[in-house]
Amino acid sequence: MPDPDVLIVGAGPSGAVSAKRLAEDGFKVMVLEQGDWPDYERARSAHPDYELTSGQYWAWDPNVRGGPGDYPIDESDSDIIALMWNGVGGGSVVFAAHWQRNMPSDFCVRTLDGVGDDWPLSYEELEPYYVRVERDWGVSGLANDTAFPPGEGPPMPPVPLAAMGRRVARAHNELGWHWWPAPNAIATRAYGALKPCVQRATCLWGCADGAKASVDRTYWPVNTRNGVELVTRARVRRLLIRADGLVDGVEYLDADGAEHVQHAPVTILCANGIGTPRLLLLSGENGGLANSSGLVGKRLMLHPFGTVTGLFDEQLESWQGVWGQHIHSLEFYETDDERGFVRGAKWGLQPTGGPLSMTRSYPWGAENAIWGEAFHRELRRRLGHSAMWGIIAEDLPEESNLVTLDPDTSDGYGIPGAKVVYTNSENSQRMMAFHQERAKESLLAAGAYDVIVAPFIEATGWHILGTCKMGDEPATSVVDRWGRTHDIPNLYIFDGSTWPTSSGMNPTATIAAMALRCAERLIEERRDQKEAG
Amino acid sequence: MNRVALDRKTLAALADVLIPAADGMPSASEAGAAGEWLDEVLRVRADLEPPLLSLLERARGEPPAGEVERLEREEPEAFEALSTAVAGAYFLNPEVRRLIGYPGQEARPIEPEDPPDYEQDGLLASVVERGPIFRPTPEGRRRAG
Repeated sequence: MPDPDVLIVGAGPSGAVSAKRLAEDGFKVMVLEQGDWPDYERARSAHPDYELTSGQYWAWDPNVRGGPGDYPIDESDSDIIALMWNGVGGGSVVFAAHWQRNMPSDFCVRTLDGVGDDWPLSYEELEPYYVRVERDWGVSGLANDTAFPPGEGPPMPPVPLAAMGRRVARAHNELGWHWWPAPNAIATRAYGALKPCVQRATCLWGCADGAKASVDRTYWPVNTRNGVELVTRARVRRLLIRADGLVDGVEYLDADGAEHVQHAPVTILCANGIGTPRLLLLSGENGGLANSSGLVGKRLMLHPFGTVTGLFDEQLESWQGVWGQHIHSLEFYETDDERGFVRGAKWGLQPTGGPLSMTRSYPWGAENAIWGEAFHRELRRRLGHSAMWGIIAEDLPEESNLVTLDPDTSDGYGIPGAKVVYTNSENSQRMMAFHQERAKESLLAAGAYDVIVAPFIEATGWHILGTCKMGDEPATSVVDRWGRTHDIPNLYIFDGSTWPTSSGMNPTATIAAMALRCAERLIEERRDQKEAG
Repeated sequence: MNRVALDRKTLAALADVLIPAADGMPSASEAGAAGEWLDEVLRVRADLEPPLLSLLERARGEPPAGEVERLEREEPEAFEALSTAVAGAYFLNPEVRRLIGYPGQEARPIEPEDPPDYEQDGLLASVVERGPIFRPTPEGRRRAG
């Protein structure tokens, strides 16, 4: 089989978007994916045992799941556990589908707030790519949210606010606080390969109804038709380096452990904020490949996450809806010097689940006083009568938060695992405490008779960002503004590793828009591209 | 794993500490949470069986209330297994689901002809009236002229 023009490692959001755009322009694209296709036969959302079984096959923590594409991650020195899906579709298979663009200030944090770094591009530069990927993904929402510059919105109308959303929206109107019908990567109409959402609120555990826009459902059928060659259960062990310093493809192991060498003129890493630096560190001597800056694996950002739950007299049927978000609020997103911290957080209003979820310690508090005499009374208070703000806090880049190789563990094929070191900063803790207080006020204003702040838990690291920083200066960044590594002109990184700062948003919208933008630059510059050929 | 070996009598006693009969609701054991519905739980969650066997062996002959309290305090993983199995089994019982008013995660299609609920009562008007809330940036200002 002839070598591809471009080899991509990882079939998640950035890999899928890049492959689609390159194939549309006639590139022969091969994608290596260490995991397999998701098996939606194992999505149990329509079955009585759904709550019991959803956290097994669809577990978010690879150390718990132990799936065929997973590798061990040592998090003994991390305040937050990294969550991911290692398979076709990547994180979009289990993400909550909150489709948040970054706000304009997210691109110039250094200029505005004197912390972190500016991105080498602006919101306005990225905005056309947001619009295009929203059409390709199948996003629902409402244009002209006042938290963003006006412009074209998603192609489908938003999900219903639901009873909980209407309540909180009215309260925010009284408080004078921002809210907006939430953007979600959830189809509210039949749209391409997607079916309309039926509001089962099981988005995080394999959408059995075919309404959540994960790229295994949206991009991959198109990519396959366009001739992209997808190889699953292909576990990349290292990148191949030529004497002239160019990357010459990869060495990978198949499901049986057999070694393969795949040459390619150009290689793009789309393996997420842990997988990509792990691969670079596995590949080079003296500190890893493309690492003259010393920043590969550093500046890890994981978005501390909190929830505040309100209890209401009204029957809200809050096990139904989208999960997903019904409304979002960016009222406290921007920096206010008087708060004692910089930057901010985004809120998404979510359901709380079925009866078994009402008995868990998260989000119901460390004491979780439900068992025993109080059981039935407490269950009635919670089930159907609760709504939850999910709060995503921007964490700032710090070189002490990092991903390294773990010499003590390896996957089933002898490839070293990853180690994560992460400390939840003082700024992040102050930010979360402030937002939890405001979220309590929000829910109380909406009529809640009680509010519960969930204890901090580790297993919330859905957003893995920053470990191969993008920037103009090779001494202080790993890739340039187009995702090309400064050190190796035919090696690119298009995933969330490249983020200079984390924003306080769910990152998939920006990861997708950035991948499209970078892929188009690669296409434009094809004549000048240095290749391993 | 031999399911017959499960000490269901001890399990029922522990389960009823977690979920007693009250407020017109059956206890866990009355609802079959140590019987047929537990079998269903273990059919789909075989991973719960080893910790259950282990904790039941230690709990045999002990006062159930004290044992539940001890597990919650000293063995959080065992308590998690016990409470998941018991509550999971309880909520599989269709009569319990009826009594708590939970029909399961139902398919409730979004009606495309329904007017958007964000338009009801002018809900968005005050948000729009307030105007933009994002911070101006150098690039935004430049483009705005």
